Amino acid sequence: MSGDYGRILVFRDEAGPREVFLSFDTSGVAIGFNGHVDLGTGIETALSQIVAEELDLPLDRVRMVLGDTEKTPNQGPTIASETIQITAVPLRHASAQIRRELAIRGARRLNAPAARVTLEDGEVRWKDTHVPYESLIAGEEIALRLDTETPVKNPKDYKIVGQSAARVDLPAKVTGRYPYVHDVFVEGMLHGHVIRPPYAGRDSGAFIGKSLVSFDEAAVGHMPGFVAVVHRGDFLGVVAERADQAEAIAEALPVEWLMPPDLPDMTSIADTVRSQPATPRNCDSTGDFARGIGECDVRLTRSYVWPYHMHGSIGPSCSIADWNAGEPIVWSGTQNPHMLRADLANLMQIDETLIDIRRYQAAGCYGRNCADDVCGDALLLSQAVGRPVRVQLTRTQEHLWEPKGAAQVMDVEGGLLGGRFHAYSMDSWYPSNRGPNLALLLTGRITPEPRPSDMGDRTIIPPYAIPHKAITVHDMAPIVRAAWMRGVSALPNTFAHECFVDELAFAAGRDPVAFRLDHIDDPRTAHLIRECAERGGWEERSEPRKRREGRMAYGQGFAFATYVHGAFPGTAAAASAWVCDVAVDMETGEVSLTRVFVAQDQGLVINPDGVRHQIHGNVNQTASRVLKEELSFDEIAVTPKSWATYPLQTFPEAPAIETMLVERSGDPALGVGESAAVPAAAAIANAIFDATGVRMREAPFTPEKMRAALGISASRPALVGPVAKTGWRDRLGGKGLSKRFGLAALLGGSLTAGALALPIHRAIPPAAAPQASSFSSDILARGREVFAAGNCADCHTVKGGAANAGGLAMETPFGTIYTSNITPDPKTGLGEWSFAAFDRAMRKGVSRDGTSLYPAFPYTSFAKMSGDDMFALYAFLQTLEPVEQETPKAAMAVPFNLRPLNAVWKAVYHDETQLAPDAEKSPAWNRGRYLVQATGHCSACHSPRNALGAEKGGAAALSGAPVKGWYAPAIAGEKAASFGWSEESFYQYLRTGVAGDLAAAAGPMAEVVSNLRELPDSDIRAMATYLASMQTGQAEALPVNAAAAVASPDDPATEAPPLDGVHRLFESACAVCHEPAIGGLATAAQVPLSRSPAVRSQNDEALRTVIREGIEAPLNLKTRDMPGFGKELTEAQIDALARYVRARYGAAAP
Amino acid sequence: MNGRPQTLVVDAHRTLLDVLRSDLAITSPKYGCGLAQCGSCTVLIDGAPARSCVMRAAKANGAAITTLEGLAHAQTGELHPVQRGFVEAVGAQCGYCLNGMVMTAIALLRENPNPDEGDVRAALRHNLCRCGTHKEIVASVMRAAELMREEAQAQTSPDGTSSAGEGASA
Repeated sequence: MSGDYGRILVFRDEAGPREVFLSFDTSGVAIGFNGHVDLGTGIETALSQIVAEELDLPLDRVRMVLGDTEKTPNQGPTIASETIQITAVPLRHASAQIRRELAIRGARRLNAPAARVTLEDGEVRWKDTHVPYESLIAGEEIALRLDTETPVKNPKDYKIVGQSAARVDLPAKVTGRYPYVHDVFVEGMLHGHVIRPPYAGRDSGAFIGKSLVSFDEAAVGHMPGFVAVVHRGDFLGVVAERADQAEAIAEALPVEWLMPPDLPDMTSIADTVRSQPATPRNCDSTGDFARGIGECDVRLTRSYVWPYHMHGSIGPSCSIADWNAGEPIVWSGTQNPHMLRADLANLMQIDETLIDIRRYQAAGCYGRNCADDVCGDALLLSQAVGRPVRVQLTRTQEHLWEPKGAAQVMDVEGGLLGGRFHAYSMDSWYPSNRGPNLALLLTGRITPEPRPSDMGDRTIIPPYAIPHKAITVHDMAPIVRAAWMRGVSALPNTFAHECFVDELAFAAGRDPVAFRLDHIDDPRTAHLIRECAERGGWEERSEPRKRREGRMAYGQGFAFATYVHGAFPGTAAAASAWVCDVAVDMETGEVSLTRVFVAQDQGLVINPDGVRHQIHGNVNQTASRVLKEELSFDEIAVTPKSWATYPLQTFPEAPAIETMLVERSGDPALGVGESAAVPAAAAIANAIFDATGVRMREAPFTPEKMRAALGISASRPALVGPVAKTGWRDRLGGKGLSKRFGLAALLGGSLTAGALALPIHRAIPPAAAPQASSFSSDILARGREVFAAGNCADCHTVKGGAANAGGLAMETPFGTIYTSNITPDPKTGLGEWSFAAFDRAMRKGVSRDGTSLYPAFPYTSFAKMSGDDMFALYAFLQTLEPVEQETPKAAMAVPFNLRPLNAVWKAVYHDETQLAPDAEKSPAWNRGRYLVQATGHCSACHSPRNALGAEKGGAAALSGAPVKGWYAPAIAGEKAASFGWSEESFYQYLRTGVAGDLAAAAGPMAEVVSNLRELPDSDIRAMATYLASMQTGQAEALPVNAAAAVASPDDPATEAPPLDGVHRLFESACAVCHEPAIGGLATAAQVPLSRSPAVRSQNDEALRTVIREGIEAPLNLKTRDMPGFGKELTEAQIDALARYVRARYGAAAP
Repeated sequence: MNGRPQTLVVDAHRTLLDVLRSDLAITSPKYGCGLAQCGSCTVLIDGAPARSCVMRAAKANGAAITTLEGLAHAQTGELHPVQRGFVEAVGAQCGYCLNGMVMTAIALLRENPNPDEGDVRAALRHNLCRCGTHKEIVASVMRAAELMREEAQAQTSPDGTSSAGEGASA
């Protein structure tokens, strides 16, 4: 064999530059080039099989290059399941061409007649001689022009095609080495983050591209990693060194937008769609519908409504672009590399041949998602900064902005004459176009007027022999951004056709499958229907059977369709038929799809396993769409920002699926990408009818819609009814203004009466505090512990601000006060406070200048501290970094803004005596009491306060109270005891933040425990000893899991919440961590919700706070983070979720 | 990190997912939702599954982190039985969620080596797959369980006594 490099390839050049389809070189590997891409369906494997088969080469010596614009032919977007059916055709001929050339050369080398040699396993063989393909091309460059007349193999000789082949990409995917576009690393790349306008998910109207008023780059220019803010029209993005920095800068950038005009009413989607401008286009006017319908003895008029859906790629779109001085390289997960290249050329106003699109796999897209948009984003940013830029869209951005699968409305009329389907009309509205690239719209490169498209006609012609038809599609522009999604308009059109024919069958007193067969002329289609019914266990009936077992109703449905794609009249892809079984819960309205049998006729099967997997995927995804999915809107925009508000089918909901591939190896291969999805909605609706006698004509078939259709009243109205909001203000200040005025009057009276008796505090003159160095290290060490035990830093530091410089706002029922600067700064801090002034402030609540401090400063506890501790704390404070920062003035409500009033308050409530040890008790107990009552001032948060803001004592002490929007639960008394605290659990909790699954510190308490890390173990033990002694009453066993508590439907207090939106929200957003599916999940909540202080609180406020803000666990504790949902959920959703959680878990809360 | 110590200084607010992908070029955990809702980012922390998009990297300080890249046998390079199960039963279409499925399956099989299909579905109920590969994924986990049982059996010495106590690893 010659060692010289050689190559043989097949190309075409009619359309301009040379495009190569296939090459084979002396490395022994064939490389196929296809303009379509693998969207995760395994098409790469199937195309490899086609090449290997025609070339007689082992499958592992074939590679495919898919979609790179520099290398692959332009074969249009990867849509409509066309890859195998259309774009693989030239690849097959190219393979045959190379095979023929190799056969001729091999015969010559072996001195054999060309017609008699055989080709096998990469060799040309003649009798007992053979020669490998590679040696036949060594040293040569052979280029063959594509000849689509080249004879190809007879399918009966296939050895590779038709056999299941292992997916070529899987080994790399399962080891994490497969490079998705998200994983591409380009040397020197920066990170971009885009900021989208408020008109989320909209792409037409005069405001598009013209809504950005201003932004303030100077406000973020100092932030770490900042590189640039880039804008053009409504395109706005930031570039930074790191992705997290870019995101932080984007969030901090002040931006002003004009608000867009309202959307039309999206709650009555059918009326809205029908009322938009549209152009009717007749697709079939066989016979005379007007006459035909008049002749019918049974006439039905029906409307079917399809919602907006999300493609819902699991990976939000990502791209890297390198402007590369005007010859851009774009790493992309696009579905349409050549179309994208044209869009980017338009965006940058350069020739498209200058752009190199390098196509990588992304998450499955099922149609047009943001994969192309993000390339425009990255390229604009890269051009601006002159370096490669990676943009990873967020989940929220992908959710809001992906072009949606369009809503659709089908108005149908038809009828029977003598039991035959005699007349049928359909008007189908499909508000979608092809989703113009977002960057083109945002920058104003293309104008934003509504652009109608013509894709509403897929499978719009019913498959039945009907004498009189009037089939009309209403071509129209999108209402919100939309583009093709799996099944396109064929799925909704078939929903209408196949539900309507089912209804007619029963009206004719016929079995629905038999009725269909009565009207099918095409034998191949009839064969598919018959096979599906027989093998799928179809049970004949002429009326709905309404089988019931207890609360469950069972039914079976049938539907079929041939998916027709491409411009009307289009091309038929595979035909699919469904028999499916449902179970309907007649109390909750929940529909379970339990089994789906799919028979499919796709002609020649390339990779049987690949086809089956594609069918399974279609069934599962479409089941999710039909039973669960529906896009929501507010007045101006698309609303779901996470899976919480757009739930997908979960594993327990997935149906059992059986498939049957009709054997037709002699017929051409048909596309299988989408066909099995098309009958889904109708088959499920027909099964629901069989189970319940109710026709569902508006998807999705959610429990709410089912309950409405079945006339079941929703359970538990209390859960969804208005709930009074109560908080600090109401609890402490009474309900409403009158009572608060009453209090004011009372206080006013006291003030008048007692004014003269008030002690007047003198100011203590400023005196430089001693130098930190003048204190012994023992004193400073002790001071550090007191500082930590008192949690001083937490209240005296603003998040993100200078440590201990004060300024933290404290909301009280009486107004807002701000914590003071406790650093030794002479002007604004404690730098000129003598110990006497400090001690007075701490014990008496009197500031150095003689004014009274508000009791939010817990001097009532600090008064109990020992003199030694007080001095040690004073000493330690002098070692803090001095910060000059004025404390903002308190903003108090009348009359609480009068500081003298605080003096009155003190006269009534303040006890200044230090704690005396209790000789009856152990030293540890006494130490614990001291830490809890004095330094730790636990009562400041855990004791409820009376109407005047004083901590309640006696039995109410430490019995739980709201604090800073959170809830500090009971830690003493019967309420605490029933929770199950013990000395050991108190110790674990205060030491690590976590006490088994009993409690985990969060919110303000997490900071307290974090600061307690400074204290020795003996102090933590002492607090545990003391707190354990404060538990009176017998501890009772706790319910571990509140789910058990909602299982009893008889008790109204524990009745299961209805299966509505908020339930689904909890299940998709919260359950993963709060009802984990898997043991030991390291990011799950550490305690059950029934034990959460926020759930046990008297009202929803604490729960709303934690849902909104999440939990950022101190790094020195074993507690865990919880993400905040404030950005993804609306306040109304957070309110509803809080009510739901308290209803579901609160009943079980001790 | 996959058996090797790694020292790096990161900002306290950064997620483990971000640091793994950006700083350590460990790309098997995927960004899907950032709110622990989909499972694509799952890694093992001291053997327990964790959703790395809601865990800060600093919180994983000192822990053993395992990702798809580190599952194969350190010496032989042989794939983990769960990985083999997913290859054999083709438990992926696009494969973006695959990482989370494999990691969650490992956690399930550690707890329950003999799951039935219902157990597998329940264990995966908080992992999202949009391609609709549920059937193949469940079959992959069932196959993985089988492979793990076979391995455990192979490690039982011929006279029927288990050698697991002598240091064999399952």
